[in-house]
Amino acid sequence: MFDIEHGNHGTVICRGRLDAAQCEKAEGFLAGLEGATTLDFAGLEYISSAGLGILLKTQKRLVADGGGLKIINVNNHIHDVFRYSGFHTIFDIRAK
Amino acid sequence: MQRSFPRHLDALTPLYEFAEGMMEAHDIAEGIRFPVHLAMEELFVNMVKYNPDISTDIEVDVSLQVNQEVRVSLVDDGGVEFDVTAARPIDIDAPLEDRIPGGLGIHLIQSLVDTLEYEYQDGRGEVIFTKGSGNKDV
Repeated sequence: MFDIEHGNHGTVICRGRLDAAQCEKAEGFLAGLEGATTLDFAGLEYISSAGLGILLKTQKRLVADGGGLKIINVNNHIHDVFRYSGFHTIFDIRAK
Repeated sequence: MQRSFPRHLDALTPLYEFAEGMMEAHDIAEGIRFPVHLAMEELFVNMVKYNPDISTDIEVDVSLQVNQEVRVSLVDDGGVEFDVTAARPIDIDAPLEDRIPGGLGIHLIQSLVDTLEYEYQDGRGEVIFTKGSGNKDV
């Protein structure tokens, strides 16, 4: 189960488990983002390398156009995954 | 406990529920359950991608050792040889412009599990990994 939708003030809300089976849904949504965007991961329980790939692809596109992703409310486990992947150096990440 | 799963990404949710149910029943800490799920998914997805024979299932065996260590085995018949224990260096300090999506899965498995073994013989590949040494967070 994975949900992604627009929240308040331009924030994008992600919930559930972003596994390889859910990447098409996430990629379709994130492809529509422009500029500087905040992803709220308060409800996101899990992410795998497939989800990381979608985030990386989106970040490269947005940064090239002068924007970028800020990811907030990241749980400890996902934060570890970001750290092992070196994502903390290429994303603005805020823990829960 | 062993179960077979169809070679399709739609099996990821039943695979998660299978492992989660067993670990929850044994009071395995979230700090161990998360990397177990992650490693299982990465290995399963690799087996889906690198074996074109959709008629064969992937056997997954999740067991708990006496000391509450989680041991997971995934068996794939007919896939290509792919040693997940082999080092595949990834520059996690590379700048954004040099990053290419993909290739992180094996790196994450190697980073997060305690032990990782791979065997391949006569078209049958088996990966075994262990994680955790108790029911406390790691």
